[in-house]
Amino acid sequence: MWHITKREIYDNLNSLRFALTTVLLLALMVTNAVKHLREHPKRVQRYQDAVTESLNHLTDRANDSLYTLAQYGPGNFYKKPSPLHFCANGGEFLLPDAVEVDEPPVFMTDSEGNRLLEGIWSLSYPDANLHNKDVGPNVSQVDWAFIIGSILSLIALWFTFDAFSGEREQGTLRLMLANSIPRHTVLIGKFLGALLSISIPFALAVLVNLLLISTADTVYLTTEAWGRLGIIFALALLYTSLFVALGLLVSARVQQSAVSLMILLLMWVTLVVFMPSTLASIASSFSPAMSFDEFWKQRNPIKEDLWDKYKEGLWSSELDDSKLRAKSEFYTENAEREERWQEEQLKYRTSQVHRARAITSISPATLLQHLIESFAGTGFERHLQFAENVQRYTRQLREFVADTDRADPESLHILGVREGMSKKLVNPAAVPKFEDTLNLSKDFNTTAMELLLLTLFVLVLLSGAYLAFVRVEV
Amino acid sequence: MMTLIRRELLDNLMTFRFAAAVFITLLLVVANTIVLLKDYEQRLTAYNKAVKESHQELREKKTYSGYAGALVVQRPPNPLSIFNLGLDKQVGNKIEVYHAFVPTIWDAEKHGADNPFLNLFTSIDIVLVFQGVLSLLALIFAYDALAGEHERGTLRLVLTHPIQRGYILCAKYISAMLCLLVPLLISLFLSIILLTTSATISLSTDDFLRIGGIVLTSLLYVSLFYLIGLCISAMTRRTSTALMLCMFVWGCLVLVYPNLILTAVDIVPQPETQTSVYNQIKQMWEKLDKEDKQFIRNDAVLSPPSRGGEDMAAGFGLEGVEYTFWKDEDKPSILLYFHQTGLYAGKIGAESEPQVPRVQDYYGFYNRETINTVQRTWLVRKPALEAIYVQPANLGRMLLRFSPVGLYDAATEAWAGTDLEGIQDFFSTVQRYRRAVVDYFYDKKIFESRQWFAADKGTADWDALPQFSFQRSDTGINAKRALPDMLLLLTMNVILFTVIMLIFIKSEV
Repeated sequence: MWHITKREIYDNLNSLRFALTTVLLLALMVTNAVKHLREHPKRVQRYQDAVTESLNHLTDRANDSLYTLAQYGPGNFYKKPSPLHFCANGGEFLLPDAVEVDEPPVFMTDSEGNRLLEGIWSLSYPDANLHNKDVGPNVSQVDWAFIIGSILSLIALWFTFDAFSGEREQGTLRLMLANSIPRHTVLIGKFLGALLSISIPFALAVLVNLLLISTADTVYLTTEAWGRLGIIFALALLYTSLFVALGLLVSARVQQSAVSLMILLLMWVTLVVFMPSTLASIASSFSPAMSFDEFWKQRNPIKEDLWDKYKEGLWSSELDDSKLRAKSEFYTENAEREERWQEEQLKYRTSQVHRARAITSISPATLLQHLIESFAGTGFERHLQFAENVQRYTRQLREFVADTDRADPESLHILGVREGMSKKLVNPAAVPKFEDTLNLSKDFNTTAMELLLLTLFVLVLLSGAYLAFVRVEV
Repeated sequence: MMTLIRRELLDNLMTFRFAAAVFITLLLVVANTIVLLKDYEQRLTAYNKAVKESHQELREKKTYSGYAGALVVQRPPNPLSIFNLGLDKQVGNKIEVYHAFVPTIWDAEKHGADNPFLNLFTSIDIVLVFQGVLSLLALIFAYDALAGEHERGTLRLVLTHPIQRGYILCAKYISAMLCLLVPLLISLFLSIILLTTSATISLSTDDFLRIGGIVLTSLLYVSLFYLIGLCISAMTRRTSTALMLCMFVWGCLVLVYPNLILTAVDIVPQPETQTSVYNQIKQMWEKLDKEDKQFIRNDAVLSPPSRGGEDMAAGFGLEGVEYTFWKDEDKPSILLYFHQTGLYAGKIGAESEPQVPRVQDYYGFYNRETINTVQRTWLVRKPALEAIYVQPANLGRMLLRFSPVGLYDAATEAWAGTDLEGIQDFFSTVQRYRRAVVDYFYDKKIFESRQWFAADKGTADWDALPQFSFQRSDTGINAKRALPDMLLLLTMNVILFTVIMLIFIKSEV
């Protein structure tokens, strides 16, 4: 078997396609690295500026008073740019990069413009990036996901289309099988030979790419990032072996190598290019999205009865306990509803996207795209994880405000109203800070299904190739 | 000659690859037409709903100044976006018409039932199918045309007859093109049938001409790829090498180059122009602010000494003012900056009646000055927007044109009217419409009328307002925009054909 593998690799190494592949992959990977080096520092800078600004907001408010902190909340939350952005950009330019903290609503002012009733802050999830006003041509970025998903799969077919049909045409297949080698050994040998000879230029290109990126002092990769890169490399090999198996399968069944290449190419076009987009269109047309107006109409009545419920407490300017409590409850409930409504909208849209993603997962190219996105820490799932992080932090911050207030015996413990809250100074350093983190084991959990599906595809195709080759007459 | 064509045609028609070609093109085109048709219908429903809603919303406004944010123009989806989506879905389709800014493509928003996250998925159109599949098929038909005959030795046989080599080449070319036409035409035919049977889509004669233009461009594109294949086939002596090279070339031209070039070349504009122009615009508005305050301060009625002359929010002390409002935009990225204030009075109290003509005068002055300021800001905003958004986009398209894929895409976009210029047509119509509305307001003296802010003596008459209508540009203009790219395709065809001819005539058999 090793003998066959070795022979295959030698055969391939000397061929034209090997040289062309190496050049192509190198060019792509170098472009990718250069682009990343050019843009990543800017991204990080933007993120850091934004984070500093929002931290300043937080400390200013905490310095002012506990009430200000409870009323205005922290500054906006920003998504940390992934250092592995070059692996998959995951449509980041379409996704919002922040969760915003809404200013407290003003319910009532007097004729001089003084605020009589003002509520407390709430979270809002901005829509996809609306600042994207680009009118340029629509092309996909050259990231690892594109290089592996489209180019490497094509190369895999390019290396295998004549694996059996070519040898059959030359007559060497018969010669080989005349020796006492079991057919499955031949198959495995061919498989490994093709996979290894594709891995050589790919590994070389990846090495150059990583060398460029890691030696630049503007980009820093952590140990975890290297681990993630390792996983992505393994995924690339798994995905390539899928197409190698497909190539072997078709090559074993078809007599002429030209016909085999044509079938493979058409299959590739369908699987990689058309299935993802067509299926997504079908999936998204299943359920029309609810428009903003409809959501607005749903929400308005709820607000109305809130007013009715707390009417008495709100209209009086007295400062007794029950009135303050009514105000506080009104504010809190208002903010909660606002937030819940926003969350529901996000959930509704998310479920739509998830449905579309589930349907497109029939195509291995989409599977790979999703997997690489998850492990690179970009894309839609990452966005949801970020939103979840923000939600967790806001709970933490609200608890902190309540706890600080509870620690002050002079306070009335009525949150959200100036008169009802602790007047003591807050130590800004004690206020919890937001940190956007990534979790590798969580990524594994969310992608387990897709990982299994991809492996299953590979196994099915490999056994298909085995069956086809065992039964074929030479 | 005819015998040669017939022979080649039969050779091609009876092959497995021809059957597969027809089958796969039909499958993809029909499946995608159905999907795209559904998508178009959804967009059309959303458009109709939005038009109805905005119509109603405007009618609910009682004063003229209430038209801020209520006079909205919707951009209808282009039925030919099924063929080439272009920018049709990407660009906003809801634009406000207001005297305080000139509407542009960048101020437009999306109407209705959009889930913006669904844009994460790539979209598809029929041209994309042709772009990928037909080019592949053309190469598959071409790779063994000469190399194959050479290998089998039949080329030598054919050349023993007294036929010129040029004829052989022409025969091969014509028959292969005929074969490639079959899947192209059948699939287009089916998709047009699907389109015409749909109730929501109505295609005019002009649209059929445009589709004709798309077919013609497709033909040039396919022919170019066939010639590339033929060229490779003429240069290499072995079919397997030819096949390998064809695939490599296809991968490079269709897949790698368009994506690679735009990643490699940095076409992001300089941010300096953006900030400087933005500041310039802001200054113009601040100047207007000063004049505005000056006007109020100098006016004894509007500015009683007790209120310090700057109390706009209180509605000039008019009795019966129900609310005052601000309308402002501050978007540095698209150089949009303006602010307007206004008030709404349901019924003005009798004691303030003498004050009303002064307020009317004030609004007459304020609106006139606003419009003049907008005119001035537009003079700097327009070229800046061009420099920031249009020039990089055009540079990107220019770079893409080095591949036939880019040329094909640009030409079909122009035919379908979904290219940047086609979309810009809509927005220049909106700009003209804004001008018409402003002129109408000037003509009828609406800016200084009582109905501008008060609803007690007569309310706004919205039916007399100029109506907005948009017609897609003539086929002639589409043709004019598509022609340069088509000519480039044609030239490449001719050059390649000549090159092949030279190689083939010189080559020894």
